[in-house]
Amino acid sequence: MKRTVKRVLELIVILMILSFFTFLLMYLAPGDPAEKRLVSQGVVVTKEVLDAERERLGLMKPFFIRYGEWLFGVCRGDFGVSFKDDMPVGPKLLAGLANTLQLAGASMLLSLLISIPLSIVAAFRKNSIADHIIKLFAFLGNSLPNFLISVILMYFFCIHTKLFPIIATGSLQGLLLPALSLSIPISGRFLRQMRQEFLMQISQDYITGMCNRGVKRRYIVGNVLYNSTAHVLNIVALQVGSLMTGSVVIETIFRWPGIGKLVMDSITARDYPVIMGFVLVMGTVYVVINQLVDVCMGCLDPRIRMESEGHHDKA
Amino acid sequence: MKKKMISALLVAAMVITTITGCGNAATTTSNDSAEATTAESGEKILKTAASFAYASLDVHKDYYGWYTSIYGVSEALFKMNENSEAVPCLAEDATVDGNVWTITIKKEAAFANGTNLTADMVKRNLERVAEVNERFAFVDDFTIDVVDDKTLTITTQEAYPTLKNDLASPEFGMIDLDATTDFDNDPICTGPFVMKEFNPEGDVTVARNDNYWGKDVYLDGAVFYYMQDDDTKLMAMQSGEIDCYNSVSSAAMEIYNADPDTYNVVSIPGARLQFYILNENRLDASVREAINLTVDKDAVASYLSGTVSAAVGPFGTNTAYGKVTGPVVDTAKAVELIEADGYTKGADGFYEKDGQKLTVNICYYAARSLDTIALLMQEQLKAVGIDSTLTCEEDPDATYLTTGDFDIALYCMIADKCGDPLYFINSTIASDAVYNVGGFKSDEAQAMVEELRGEQDTARRAELANKIVQIAIDDNAFGYVGLFNNTTVLRKGVSGFAENVPFDFYGIDANTRME
Repeated sequence: MKRTVKRVLELIVILMILSFFTFLLMYLAPGDPAEKRLVSQGVVVTKEVLDAERERLGLMKPFFIRYGEWLFGVCRGDFGVSFKDDMPVGPKLLAGLANTLQLAGASMLLSLLISIPLSIVAAFRKNSIADHIIKLFAFLGNSLPNFLISVILMYFFCIHTKLFPIIATGSLQGLLLPALSLSIPISGRFLRQMRQEFLMQISQDYITGMCNRGVKRRYIVGNVLYNSTAHVLNIVALQVGSLMTGSVVIETIFRWPGIGKLVMDSITARDYPVIMGFVLVMGTVYVVINQLVDVCMGCLDPRIRMESEGHHDKA
Repeated sequence: MKKKMISALLVAAMVITTITGCGNAATTTSNDSAEATTAESGEKILKTAASFAYASLDVHKDYYGWYTSIYGVSEALFKMNENSEAVPCLAEDATVDGNVWTITIKKEAAFANGTNLTADMVKRNLERVAEVNERFAFVDDFTIDVVDDKTLTITTQEAYPTLKNDLASPEFGMIDLDATTDFDNDPICTGPFVMKEFNPEGDVTVARNDNYWGKDVYLDGAVFYYMQDDDTKLMAMQSGEIDCYNSVSSAAMEIYNADPDTYNVVSIPGARLQFYILNENRLDASVREAINLTVDKDAVASYLSGTVSAAVGPFGTNTAYGKVTGPVVDTAKAVELIEADGYTKGADGFYEKDGQKLTVNICYYAARSLDTIALLMQEQLKAVGIDSTLTCEEDPDATYLTTGDFDIALYCMIADKCGDPLYFINSTIASDAVYNVGGFKSDEAQAMVEELRGEQDTARRAELANKIVQIAIDDNAFGYVGLFNNTTVLRKGVSGFAENVPFDFYGIDANTRME
């Protein structure tokens, strides 16, 4: 309980620091939300109109007043309204986050389904043809840019074979291609890292012992998998964070209204309330994922938990 | 335990495959059945792609009116035609006497709910636009009086010759202010279509307005898919999932042009201008002239593969106020001018004077092909011996246009907002213009700007505009590079998607057809 309270307090401090510096950086960066909004269609406005809009958006107030007002609002659960369209920021972020969560979840699942079996094959058949092919796939997955993978998949599945429609957002069908586009590069990374970890486990004495005792291959694979779980969890956790921030390219190509595109559009429009909301949400997501991984690691490997507790005791 | 894990993985894989398979089947069936229904019932539903999507349908706010106009939902008192003229739409006519405009509304003009459009409703709409849209706050200075049910007068403080054109702005689309309860999602307007399904910042579906006051509406409805990526649009067009869209990229245009039996590509010069400002505070008259004689607009237009047309002045040459002459490329004369100004060519092939190399700073931002233009200009200037550096900024308004720290400032804006030259001249050439940041000053031009601001006669306005712009061109204060083409691709049999109108805020209307 004490540790949980401490972690929550740490999270609050992190978010405070993060929000202050983000607000400061946006304040210092060139760009004017009022101007971006008024001239968004290429129509020029007069200085009077611009000043009136700045006044309306509260941009003429001093930095600390603006930050204070924003912070006060957030403490009351109000993220403010978007500078771009006057719509409340909270629902915008929630909608984007929900879509990103779906896409990230599907991509992660696909990536694991692709990479775990393939890296087992690659590790247990090191230097075989299968291993070389899998390594080549990992290399290609890592090297190809996202947009190219997306367009190739779209062309193959939607134009060439006509298995999927181009316009399919909102359905499972619409989810599969963007998820696959995201999961191919992730699988490439996972394959290399997991293969390495499995090879390390295979080289351990307990595996040599199992092999010498004639233990069946599936039990050996099970042991390797089980003992690699902590490491795999770490790899996955690192990826979850970046997946949750969304992918502008994938979201744009597949018309997936996720948080990545939302925040990129907001940066272009200097939509400070949305950017600030995004930073808070993502800061929380990252911290929570880290804490969850810490807890999971402790459960999976008691040595880590004991080490951590020992460290705390000493502290 | 291990068995369980492997089984769990296998089950997960099977479930995913099954669900995806079922999902595919279900969606495909759903799509097929939608198409079948469409075919069986003979409904004509146009499917198109929209590059922008907004969070609201409030016609009066921001630029949302542009999109309700594109969706065919809202209409203004006037509309712009193919020749950039403001012609009656909901209004019957508008006459001006001094500072007083008298506007008559068409008898039959009515909202989708059948309520007649009255002069009082128009008055209240205009007042609301002034209240909720900062760009039109000036309307608040007008005195609007209702004369009778279908007539109103607008009295302006000074002569306001462009009122009719301004009232053609889609932000002045009429809403039934009494009956509308949700301005953001379901405004009741007068257009040939009504909102059927609106996803904020997403897809939009409209259906025919059965109470439309105008002539028959051909389409039964339309779907606007929010689609920003050019490749996605191209593939959706190729797969037959959309019937038309505009802002076609040059790469896609090549593909469509190669298949004229399937696609009809219409490209006309639009109202969006790419231009540069020459800094008179930093560059000599001879250098500015040399630059304008060197920049080859045709080469730029050719390089941009049909997405722009080479500009002579800021406006289309088909307009009465677009009759100006620009510098013709003459690099020999450019060299002559530079040398006459005391520059000599250095060992590196670039001109220099008093030990200072002639280097110009070209500032630009990476949008609207300005980055490509900057590169092409650098190459063209290099060929005559003018060295240049490229400075790319993310936000031109907050950087080089504010600080004036540039030799050549590239910019892109709508030059012809509503069929009148005053807006552009007021924004770039007038002495108090927001974008007169290169030090251009001409008493003669300013006197004509003052006259233009109050001149009512259209022919005289065009004459004044041509003279003002010509002075700026002759002074080498600006370089007008290209006018973006409004390029629309339509599947054979589809027409009336505003493909011949140079403005961005029109789309489907009662005339839109698909065979």
